[in-house]
Amino acid sequence: MPAANSTDEPILTVKDLNISFVSKYRDDRQVIRNVGFDIRPGEFVGLLGESGSGKSTLGNAILNLLTPTARVTSGELLYKGKDLFTIPAEDLRILRWSEISTVFQSSMASLNPVMTVRAQMEDVFSAHRGTSDAKREMTVEKSLDLVSIDHKYLDFYPHQLSGGMKQRIALAMSLLLSPDLIVFDEPTTGLDVVVQKSILSRLKALQADMKFAVLFISHDLGTVMEMADRVMIMYAGEVVENSPAGDALSGVAHPYTIGLLGSYADPRDAEINIRYIPGRPPSLDSVPVGCAFADRCGLATPECREPRIPTAEIDSLAGHRSIKCVLFGSENSDPLPERTIFDDVGQQIDVHHAAPGAGEVVCRVEDLNKTYSTRKGLKHTENHAVVDVGFELRKGSVTALVGQSGSGKTTIGRILTGVEKPSSGRVTVAGVDVGSLKRRALRNYRSKVQLIFQDPFQALNPASSVGYAISRPLVNHRKLRGSEVQEQVDRILGQVGLTPPSEYRDRLPHELSGGQRQRVVIARALAAQPEIIVADEPISMLDVSIRAEILQVLNELTRSNGIAMLYITHDLLSARLIADEILVLHEGKIVETGSTNEVLTNTRHDYTKLLLSSIPNPWQSRRIAPSLPTASSTSARA
Amino acid sequence: MLYFLRKTGLFVLTLWAAVTLNFLIPRLQPGDPAEAIVQKLAGQAQQVDPEQIRAIRLMLGVPDTSLWNQYWDYLNALIHGDFGLSYGYFPYSVTHMIAEALPYTLTLVGVTQIIAFVAGTSLGAWAAWRRNTKIDSFISLGSTFLSTLPFFWIALMLIYVLANTLHWFPEGGAYSGEIVPAFSSGFVADLAYHAVLPALALLITGSIGWILGMRNNMVQSLGSDYTRLAVAKGLRERRVAWTYAARIALLPNFTGFAISLGGVFGGTLIVEQIFSYPGMGKLMYDAIGNRDFPLLQAIFLITTVAVLLANFLADVLVGVLDPRVRRQSS
Repeated sequence: MPAANSTDEPILTVKDLNISFVSKYRDDRQVIRNVGFDIRPGEFVGLLGESGSGKSTLGNAILNLLTPTARVTSGELLYKGKDLFTIPAEDLRILRWSEISTVFQSSMASLNPVMTVRAQMEDVFSAHRGTSDAKREMTVEKSLDLVSIDHKYLDFYPHQLSGGMKQRIALAMSLLLSPDLIVFDEPTTGLDVVVQKSILSRLKALQADMKFAVLFISHDLGTVMEMADRVMIMYAGEVVENSPAGDALSGVAHPYTIGLLGSYADPRDAEINIRYIPGRPPSLDSVPVGCAFADRCGLATPECREPRIPTAEIDSLAGHRSIKCVLFGSENSDPLPERTIFDDVGQQIDVHHAAPGAGEVVCRVEDLNKTYSTRKGLKHTENHAVVDVGFELRKGSVTALVGQSGSGKTTIGRILTGVEKPSSGRVTVAGVDVGSLKRRALRNYRSKVQLIFQDPFQALNPASSVGYAISRPLVNHRKLRGSEVQEQVDRILGQVGLTPPSEYRDRLPHELSGGQRQRVVIARALAAQPEIIVADEPISMLDVSIRAEILQVLNELTRSNGIAMLYITHDLLSARLIADEILVLHEGKIVETGSTNEVLTNTRHDYTKLLLSSIPNPWQSRRIAPSLPTASSTSARA
Repeated sequence: MLYFLRKTGLFVLTLWAAVTLNFLIPRLQPGDPAEAIVQKLAGQAQQVDPEQIRAIRLMLGVPDTSLWNQYWDYLNALIHGDFGLSYGYFPYSVTHMIAEALPYTLTLVGVTQIIAFVAGTSLGAWAAWRRNTKIDSFISLGSTFLSTLPFFWIALMLIYVLANTLHWFPEGGAYSGEIVPAFSSGFVADLAYHAVLPALALLITGSIGWILGMRNNMVQSLGSDYTRLAVAKGLRERRVAWTYAARIALLPNFTGFAISLGGVFGGTLIVEQIFSYPGMGKLMYDAIGNRDFPLLQAIFLITTVAVLLANFLADVLVGVLDPRVRRQSS
């Protein structure tokens, strides 16, 4: 991949951009603060940030698709010298798609549900009759060939296609007028890892061939770092770092970049060190004076609280770096800080593991089968969701169930919690066959098995307080009354790290951050004093910098309370961190099982290998040695 | 295709069930209408002559055969549009009475319903397209305000202002007394002149639901990713507004519209009362007052069939407009 020629004139220049959300009912919120950058022809730029960092707003601003409540308070958006904020509407319309096109997040919703794929693609041509012939060379059929989609799907409606196919079609559509810049907004979020891998490698190949520039917006660090020539890191509405990807990975970077990278590792490595950034991003209602990251930064000095933080402009071998951090000074001649000082950024994750086979068996699953039958006209179709699955869960130990979406992992979780009955086979908990339980016995059983859901935003009743949510299992399952309930709620809140309890007890879910909500969900599961916890993708909806924290909480609670946990995930890195044993599920069958370390470092089954190879590894693909802080005694060792 | 076949099958089945229930329910009721009539004539606690009852039965045409034979006769009569004689307007037949009233209702209510839907939906779409502007505030606040006013009040105000005070339009009736009803241009013009006020009242209240429904649906579809992508594709405004945002927002409104068309056959009692308009609503109201059971039964049957037919059409049209529905049910 030839790096973009830095002497080319930029095609897109953003100058000193400020965007606020205005509302009649509250103060304006500044979501984009003094952002400026260039994109050069053919360059692949990654824009990385956590939720609420303003990255999507920035993407929408570049496409000029801001919602009516967002207001550009100052700044310019120059595309080939024309300011897109001020050019006449018709000029902008003509420029759209022929110059700048886009692919939205997992095109489930970005294709019109009542139009065929062909009609939606041909719309582009009829709207751009005036564009040059060179731009109109592509045909609908040719574009589908580029993404390896059969032409017959042109006459399909979006709901007849899988998520991966829709995203390929969205990619094909973005290429129709051979644009010079394509903005990708979380293009593979919600897609399966294996599908994601194939789409991204196709994108990379097309970009090398057609030489369009890319702005790739994502929260997925591994993907961005692997794909991009240059990365921009956003934090609380600011671009804190803008560096060639190799430089950002070098270990000398903005402390936030270092912190984000610390939460990333390759699950295949013999030893894994994960560090996380404690705390959470500031609310955009009240961004602190000075560096917005200072409150979470282990390297913060009084200088960081000064109103004006200089941006260091540094020339590196790979290009130019801009870093907004006092550590880097403000003069180009200032020496880079030493790599070792970054050792203090973030905290080492602290997880423990049980010895394989230790702890008594609390749950035994034998020959489990689940078949769903659907009737279509006179035709019966049988879908074997779970096939001959068997495993054991042990007290104080974590078993990970990994696999692609549709592999049957969630079905197994549902059977274990008694929500669904197995078609055949047995799930035995404390000598009782779960499949045979009825009404009252089933209710008693449910207090023994608790579920932690994927989406903490939907798992809590928005109208009841944290304390009430946690008190329900205490009252219903453990029959506690009066002051006992209150004491237990406080104790459990303390256990999940929501301290002091008095500050959280009476809050409503919407007053909490995503990470705090997931802690409440965990607390609620703990309150029933369960023997088994089924955690279904408990961290996949959370931001990178808080995932490690939640994993640490889950790990510690399982060990100290002697709970057996079934950890359901598609994310092998988190499985590596938390689980003692791993079960790899493929089309309802367990294809590989063993201790986590053994399965991930000495993989035997092809499917596990495929899963592992689908994980982006920026260091490997750039042949850079991971430059994370050296392992300390508390590193995660599976 | 399977979707449409299934819907047709379902329609035929419910139609049969409705027709059969309409036959069965009156016959399952206890008591004998002839006996009741004789008793009423003779006075309470008087002896009744069995011969008298038989005579009344013969007059009413109460059949003497088995239920099964009656059912076949009933179906046969239905196919020929024969609903028997009206009690209240004897010796006119029920069919005659309905044929008198139905055209008035169909033209007045049917036409206004269609205009209200088209106008309301367009206004709602326009308000949504210009959302958070003065036009939007005017349309949505204005229609919310009008929706709080009772229908009869609006109708009475129209009569008071436009008919009583300004004398622009007649206060009521379907046509002037001096004109002979005939299919002439003069009569049609007179009909239209008389229909203006009731139509206006129906339009004002009828379109509000469509305006608000369409606006809210479309604000949602305008915020959706496919509409934003359509803008990003550089499509012309008109194309984005109609093919992307409005087409999808229209679907729920459309179902409601098709079903409301079915209700047209029942007439609108309040309008017809206020404007003394000789439609189905008034006919039904009078039939209830007169205990005109054959007429009532026929009106119920027509209304039921109309609603069923409208539902069926709604299903078919939504199937045509929304490919997702076709698949889910097949």
